[in-house]
Amino acid sequence: MAKKGWDEFEIGAMLRTFDGKIDDIAGTRQEDRAYSQNSSYTASVADWRLIKPVFNKDYCIDCQFCWIYCPDVSIISRDKKLIGVDMDHCKGCGICVEVCPTNPKSLLMFPEQADEETEIASWPKKDEEEA
Amino acid sequence: MAFDKMELEDIEVWDGNFAAAQALRQSQVDVVAAYPITPSTPIVEGYAQFTADGYVEGEFVMVESEHAAMSACIGAAAAGGRVATATSSQGFALMVETLYQASGMRLPIVLNLVNRALAAPLNVNGDHSDMYLGRDSGWIQLDAYCPQDAYDLNFIAFKVSEDHDVRLPCMVNQDGFMTSHTAQGVHTLTDDEAYGFVGEFKPMNDMLDFEHPVTHGVQAEEDWHFEHKARQHNDLMTKVFPKIEAAFSEFEKLSGRKYNMVEKYDMDDADVCVVCMGSSVETAREVATEMRAQGIKAGVVGIRVIRPFPFFEIAEALKCVKAIAALDRSSPNGAPGMLFNEIAGSLFNTDTKAMLSGYVYGLGGRDLTKAHLVALFKELQANVDAGKITTPLQQFIGVRGPKLAYL
Amino acid sequence: MSEMKKIKNLKEFSTSADRFEGANLLCPGCAHSIIVREVLNATNDDMILSASTGCLEVCTAVYPYTSWDASWIHIGFENGSTAVAGAESMYKALKRKNRLKQPERNPKFVSFAGDGASYDIGFQWISGCMERGHNIMHVVLDNEVYANTGGQRSSSTPIGSSATTSPAGRVSYGEKKNKKDIVSIMAAHGIPYAAQVAPNKWKDMVKKIQHGFSVDGPVFINAVSPCTTEWKFDPKDTMNITDLATDSLVFPLYEIIDGHELNITYRPKNIVPVEEYLAAQGRFKHLFKDEYKYLIKEWQDRVDEKWAYLQRREESRV
Repeated sequence: MAKKGWDEFEIGAMLRTFDGKIDDIAGTRQEDRAYSQNSSYTASVADWRLIKPVFNKDYCIDCQFCWIYCPDVSIISRDKKLIGVDMDHCKGCGICVEVCPTNPKSLLMFPEQADEETEIASWPKKDEEEA
Repeated sequence: MAFDKMELEDIEVWDGNFAAAQALRQSQVDVVAAYPITPSTPIVEGYAQFTADGYVEGEFVMVESEHAAMSACIGAAAAGGRVATATSSQGFALMVETLYQASGMRLPIVLNLVNRALAAPLNVNGDHSDMYLGRDSGWIQLDAYCPQDAYDLNFIAFKVSEDHDVRLPCMVNQDGFMTSHTAQGVHTLTDDEAYGFVGEFKPMNDMLDFEHPVTHGVQAEEDWHFEHKARQHNDLMTKVFPKIEAAFSEFEKLSGRKYNMVEKYDMDDADVCVVCMGSSVETAREVATEMRAQGIKAGVVGIRVIRPFPFFEIAEALKCVKAIAALDRSSPNGAPGMLFNEIAGSLFNTDTKAMLSGYVYGLGGRDLTKAHLVALFKELQANVDAGKITTPLQQFIGVRGPKLAYL
Repeated sequence: MSEMKKIKNLKEFSTSADRFEGANLLCPGCAHSIIVREVLNATNDDMILSASTGCLEVCTAVYPYTSWDASWIHIGFENGSTAVAGAESMYKALKRKNRLKQPERNPKFVSFAGDGASYDIGFQWISGCMERGHNIMHVVLDNEVYANTGGQRSSSTPIGSSATTSPAGRVSYGEKKNKKDIVSIMAAHGIPYAAQVAPNKWKDMVKKIQHGFSVDGPVFINAVSPCTTEWKFDPKDTMNITDLATDSLVFPLYEIIDGHELNITYRPKNIVPVEEYLAAQGRFKHLFKDEYKYLIKEWQDRVDEKWAYLQRREESRV
C-alpha cells in the first residue's frame, strides 16, 4: 500500500476491514466480501514460500483436516469440498500434507518453481507398506 | 434498571470531588471504570452511591487497579460510548502507559485527575506532580481552581473531547484536598440543562457497529508511526482551541460563567504578576488585590488549558508586565520548572523586556500562604525597581532549612 | 441467547466462512492462527476481539494491514482481557439505554493473549475480569515462552526447557521451575467455565468454546500452541507435536465447571511416553545427555502424578 502523508489517513491509526457496510460476515464467503485495501486478505505472502503444496483432487476424500489445521486460511473448501489452495496466503509450512490421511497423499510439497500439472501427472502411487 | 433524575438546589455546598461526581452523573456517562485512590476516591464513591440509588443508567465497573481502570475505559470508549474515570498520583502514574494508548487511539475519555504528590516519600496531599507527569501524554488538560470549576469543566471536557474533529481524551485537574475536599457553594445546572449542553454521545469508529468492523491499537513501525504522532500533535495544536473556545462561549450562555484559555486577573495595567495553576490562583488573586492597596500594581494569570498550551494567549497576557513569576508546584528535578520554561518559550521571540523568574512551591501539600505571595510580589517589584532580576532564577518557597535557589 | 452453531463433523465445520485472514505475519506453521480459527469459527455470532501484545498481535495488525474481520482492539501487553471487558461493559450499558446500532446481535467478547500476557504480566488483569463476572472469554495461546521477543522464559515455561533467559548451558539444564497451573488458579475464581484445549483435538476444543459461549460469565481457556520457532521443530510438524502433547498427557485436556466440577475430556487410547514428546523438540535436546536423563524420568513421573490427580478430581465429583 502506498505510504501516505500525516493528513491522509483516518485518526487513531484505526483500520477498517471492509469498504462500506457488511451485514453478515460469518454468513458471507471471502470471495463475496468487499475487503478494504487494509485487510491482509488483499496482501500476499507468496514470496515467503520455498516449497508449495500441490493438490491432487483424484485422491482427496474431503476429510477437511487440511482445512482446519491450515494456519493461513489457505485451504479453500466450498460446500464441504476441497477445491484448491490459496497461493497468495499459503506460507508453505507443509502442515496440510502432514495431516492428509489418504494414501497416496492428496497434497504434497514441491519446490516453489515446480510445475503443478507435471507433478500431478507423476504423482506417487499408493504406498503398500503404509497401507 | 431504574434511572431517575435528581433535583438540585441552585447552589449546592459541594467539594470538588462531589461536584465532579455530580457532573459525571449529569453527563449520563455510559461506562465509568475506576479504582479508588486518595484524594480522588470520593468521586468514585459518589458515583457508586448514585448508581446504588438508581440515578445512573450506565455501567459502573470497579476494577482492580488504575491501569485496569484506564484499560477498561479504552475498551469501552473504542466500543463506542461516553466514558470517564478519576484518579490521583500513584494511580495516575500506574495509568501512564495507557494514557498514551488512549490518546494515540483517539478515544474520548474524561479523566478527573485530583492532583497529588508523587512518592517517594509517599504523600497524599496536593501538588502538581501527577499533572506534570501527564503533560506529554497527548491528552487535553484543563485546570480547575475551585469546586465550581471542577463541576463546569467536566461538561466542557466531554463536549470537546467527543467532538468528531477532536476525538482526544481530556483530563480535568483539581487540587487534592484544597479543592477536592473543600466544600464551597457550587452553582448547579439542572440535569436537563447539563445533559443538553454535553449532548448525546455520537459514536465514531465504534467496535459495536457490527456492520463496520474496525481494528484499534495497531502496530505502526518506522514507516508509519511518525505520521500518526504528527497527526495527533497537529490536531492538538490546531483543532482543540477553536472547540474549547466554542464550548466556553456556549457554556457562558447557559450558565453565565465565563472561562478563558488563560484567566487574567487585574492584568490590564499590571507591572508584576504571577502565573500559576490550581487553587493557588485564587490565593494569588486575593493577594494581588491587597498588593494594589500597597501601591504595587499586581496581577495574576491562571492557566486554564494546560494542553494544548496556550502559547500565544500567554504571550498576549504577559506582553505589558515588567516582571513575571512562574510558579511550579512540582519538583523540576534538575531543570527549570515547566511553567517557567513554557512561559519563557512563549515570550522569547516577542518584544517584551519582561523579567521572568521561577518559583517552586507547595510540594506535598505545603501551603502557599498569603505571606509567601506578598513577599513574592515585593520581590518582583524590587526587580522592576532595579531594572534587573535581583534573585536567582529558581527559588523554593516555603521549604525549611537554608534558602534554596539556583540558576 | 442466539442459537448455537451446529458442527456435527469436520465437513460441516468446513463450511464456516473464516473471520481471520491470511497474509498475516505469523511464522509458517504457527499454531496460534489454528487456535484462533477454531475459536472464531465456533460461532456465527458477531464478535468483539482483543489481543494482548505478543506474536498474534504484532503479526495481525501491522499498519496499514489488519487480519481481523471482526472488530478488534489491542492496548498493551497486560490488559487485553480488560480491553474486552470494557467493551463488554459498554455493550451492557448501551443495551440498557437502547442505543445499540444493531440490537438484535449477540456479540461474543473474546480476548486472546499469550502465556506471557496471561500467566505473567496480565495475570492480575485477567483475575480482575474473572472476579467481576464479565461475559468474556479469555483464550491463552500457550506456547510456554515469550516467543515474540525471541524466546525468554515465562512462568509457563516447563522444567528443562532451554529459553534465552533460562538457557541450557555448561552447568544448567535450562528452566528450573515447573509450569504454573493457570487453569486451576482461574477456576478457583469460581467462574462458570475453565478448560484446557488443544487445536489437534478440534472437536473437543470447539465443543468447549461453544460451551464457553453459552454460559453467562467469564470463561478461561488455555490452549496449547506449539511454537515452531522456539520449541524448535519443523513447521510441518505443528500438529504432530500437538498430538504428542495431548497423547503423552503432558497437556491433558479437561474442563472445570463452576470452579470445581472437573471432567477429563480426552483419554488417549495409546499413551505416548513423555520422552517422545521431549525428543521431538530442540528446546529439550540437552535433556538427552547422560547427566540429565534423570530429568526425563522426573518429567514422566510428574505427568503421571498430574494425570492421576485429574482422575481423582474427576471421580470424586467435588
